[in-house]
Amino acid sequence: MFLLNLSFAEFAALFSVISAGVFALYLFDRSRRRQTVATLRFWKPAEFPVQMNQRRKVQQPLSLILQILGIALLLLAIAQLKWGSRERNMRDHVLILDTSAWMGAQGSQGGILMQEAKGLALAWLKSVPSDDRVMVLRADAAATPATRFERNKQTVERAIRESQPAASALQLGQALRFASEFQKLHSESSGEIVYAGAARMGDVDVATVPANLRVLPVDGPSDNVGLRRMGLRRSSTDPEAWDIFVSVKNYSSSPRAVPIGLQFAGSPAGTRTLQLKPDAEMEATFTYRTRANGIVEAKLLASDPFPQDDRAVLEIPQQKQLRIAVYTNEPELLRPVLSANPNMVATFQAPAAYQPDPADTDLMILDRFAPPQAPKHDTLWIEPPAAQSPVPVSGQKAAAKLTRWTEDELLGAGLRTKDLEIEQSVTYRPAGTDIVIAESDGAALIVARPGAVKNVVIGFHPIKTRMRYELATPLLFANTIRWMEPESFRRWQLNGGHVGSVAVKTEGKVDPSAVRVMDEQGAPVPFTMADGEVRFFTNQPGNIRVMTGDRDYSYSLTVPEVGDRVWEIPQKVRRGIPARPVVGASSTDLWYWLALAGLAVLATEWFLYGRHRMRVRTATVSTMPPIATDGARKAS
Amino acid sequence: MSKTKQEPLVDRLLLEKLERLTLRWQKSFPGLIGGHNPSRFAGSGMEFLDHRNFHAGDDLRAVNWRAFMRLDKLFLKMFQIEPRVPVRLLLDVSKSMTTGTPSKFLYARRLAAAMSFVGLVKHDTIAIQPFSGELHDSFTAGGGRHRFMPTADFLSELEPADRASDFMAVSKAFIGKYVQRGLLIVVSDFLDDQDSLKPLQYLADFGHELQLVQVYAPEDRTPPWKGELDLEDAETGQHLELSFDEDALAQYTAAFDAYTESIQRLAMRNNGRFSSIPTTMPVEEAIFGPIVASKGIA
Repeated sequence: MFLLNLSFAEFAALFSVISAGVFALYLFDRSRRRQTVATLRFWKPAEFPVQMNQRRKVQQPLSLILQILGIALLLLAIAQLKWGSRERNMRDHVLILDTSAWMGAQGSQGGILMQEAKGLALAWLKSVPSDDRVMVLRADAAATPATRFERNKQTVERAIRESQPAASALQLGQALRFASEFQKLHSESSGEIVYAGAARMGDVDVATVPANLRVLPVDGPSDNVGLRRMGLRRSSTDPEAWDIFVSVKNYSSSPRAVPIGLQFAGSPAGTRTLQLKPDAEMEATFTYRTRANGIVEAKLLASDPFPQDDRAVLEIPQQKQLRIAVYTNEPELLRPVLSANPNMVATFQAPAAYQPDPADTDLMILDRFAPPQAPKHDTLWIEPPAAQSPVPVSGQKAAAKLTRWTEDELLGAGLRTKDLEIEQSVTYRPAGTDIVIAESDGAALIVARPGAVKNVVIGFHPIKTRMRYELATPLLFANTIRWMEPESFRRWQLNGGHVGSVAVKTEGKVDPSAVRVMDEQGAPVPFTMADGEVRFFTNQPGNIRVMTGDRDYSYSLTVPEVGDRVWEIPQKVRRGIPARPVVGASSTDLWYWLALAGLAVLATEWFLYGRHRMRVRTATVSTMPPIATDGARKAS
Repeated sequence: MSKTKQEPLVDRLLLEKLERLTLRWQKSFPGLIGGHNPSRFAGSGMEFLDHRNFHAGDDLRAVNWRAFMRLDKLFLKMFQIEPRVPVRLLLDVSKSMTTGTPSKFLYARRLAAAMSFVGLVKHDTIAIQPFSGELHDSFTAGGGRHRFMPTADFLSELEPADRASDFMAVSKAFIGKYVQRGLLIVVSDFLDDQDSLKPLQYLADFGHELQLVQVYAPEDRTPPWKGELDLEDAETGQHLELSFDEDALAQYTAAFDAYTESIQRLAMRNNGRFSSIPTTMPVEEAIFGPIVASKGIA
């Protein structure tokens, strides 16, 4: 036998205080009452028997005993006296509160589904015996414990009230698995696993339904249409155009015609109307030309109960142009090579106009020219005079056959020549950190020197030799410039989607050490690489940047993820809030019998003693007839 | 609390209803032309009574000069003499009047105000004399209804005395102060530890016509308490401990009623009037009910 709500000391203290109060009230009720009257003349003649009893003597002991007994029984009912063992009776429950994005949808009762789920969870919590412990598990794409197994209901209630819809879809199977495992590991006596929510989930199905599962279902709307993804990438044919694709899904069971509006920097940029079949997903493509940066917004122009997934936003970065200052006496030689890429702007000047640090310049090309002062930008030297060459000259070589190109990923990308012979070339003596791009029988003809200011030295003029007919010539310039200014050649791809697991398919061979995944603040995000994909997970809405060599993928994960289907709850699963607290079989609940007994005892006491007192008082107060005098009789 | 904020003792509607009433007395008092029947004697007054021939020595102001112009003879106008019976109102302000709910003290002042207004409307002169163990400062009102406001103010400002009532001492003092016999209205609970019947009889024997108005609280007649009681006399401070039950209540009420009947018999025996009024009865109902029924006011 034990008390569920109170310890024995608490019960004894409460009982003592209340009993003392009842005893004091009893004595007060039966004490001599002091009254002031106009005169004592009518009291004396009546010769009323004066009670000589002491005031503090209990005159009706049975009345007092019945009152105290009734109060003791009611107090025991409040304390929930039970037969059995306290330890065996205590149980641990897990409350899985659905905090997926879908819980932000409008419910049938005016508020959002989350409010309905919270209300059900709080109602269930009230039915939990106070000795049981409850853990709150917030479930969306990940199952996150909000509390440990907690006996303090206020803490549990606070955790429930503070729960808010997240941005990802519900992974119910994972949450149920987590709850079961947690109960097995941390609980001696497992209670229920209670799920409160709309059960619209992102996983395929719930593999294993725990036997102790109880579901507090919330009915969600069924006519939602929402954006799933949004993507931007540079058009392959037009460097100023962006290809924008928007993916829309119809979650309802009826076909829908959904208009989509596209805006750039607040101005309309296009509209489409998609005819969506039930439970189908379609993609709309837009093309928009701009070099400016700005916000691209895709919006569904139809209202539904879940407006959070009707809008997606991406920010287009500004396209940076590479500015090259070319000092040459023969600009017509290099102009075709440098004008091939629209992202490059070359200005040609005579060597006499040389400045070591010209304004608006990212890179310099010095064509057979030795400047009086060393340049302060990255520089491509073409056949510099031997005395001012940044890389020491080792000699001259005639009929130099290019025998080897560098294997460097960037500098040697695509460089291939066969039996190419350079009529006359300067050879260089590279340092240890230098990269030999091209050599002829061990003699370095083209050398790259990394550092704060990068330099590439070419021992011959590619356009004035036989190499001008080779594909390797523009590639050599392209590789060199990209090695010096990689940012200018970075290819952008912008994607909008929802939080959760993201897989980025890379192009070509990617060095894992060169891959970086960062959030908005530049903090690294954990990722894995497998099968040519970079995979990462986030449950916080925001922007994620994935850099793989010359590629830059930007993910705007702000669209809430909506589960594809609603879980069909098996018939065997218990539903709703139990009418009576679920108590372990090892104990017997006595509180209602105790409450009835207490009320019966108090009623008996009132019937035997209190009723008489009340009747006398009410009767004497209410009946005050006027005195029957002659005058009064006549008046009446 | 200022006077202006005090609730009036008698409201305007009741005053309008009281205008048609008159204080009544039956006795013919020595030295006075009394009663509310018109006087058979002529004299100075407001109401015209008759003409008579002029005699030497008559007041020339009463000569009917119009008749002289027509008849060439002097006639004198005679006016009806108005009664000048003094009305005194003895108002109990002793400590016993402060017991009970609703307040007997307030109720008694309201009754006194209403009865004063009735007298003032008929041009009676009323002396309001508060008393407890002695006579307190009195207030005399006369001259018509416009003198009611000072009367009401005097009654409103009355405070209960911190003394026990002593009817015998008050009766002796009253007879010493007011030699002229007249109508004596006594508003009191008549609840004191001494005998009040003998002083009242003394006043009647002196020649006053008694109109006794007993004001009592419901608990004075039917105490609502039961069980062990420690009673304290409001006037004397004496204590009495007793056990009070329904049988005792019946005995108490019977004793109270017997005492009330003895006061009533005293009033009747001396051609006076008696009214017993509980404070739960509205003042208007008390005036037009028991007091009018006792013919104290008509």
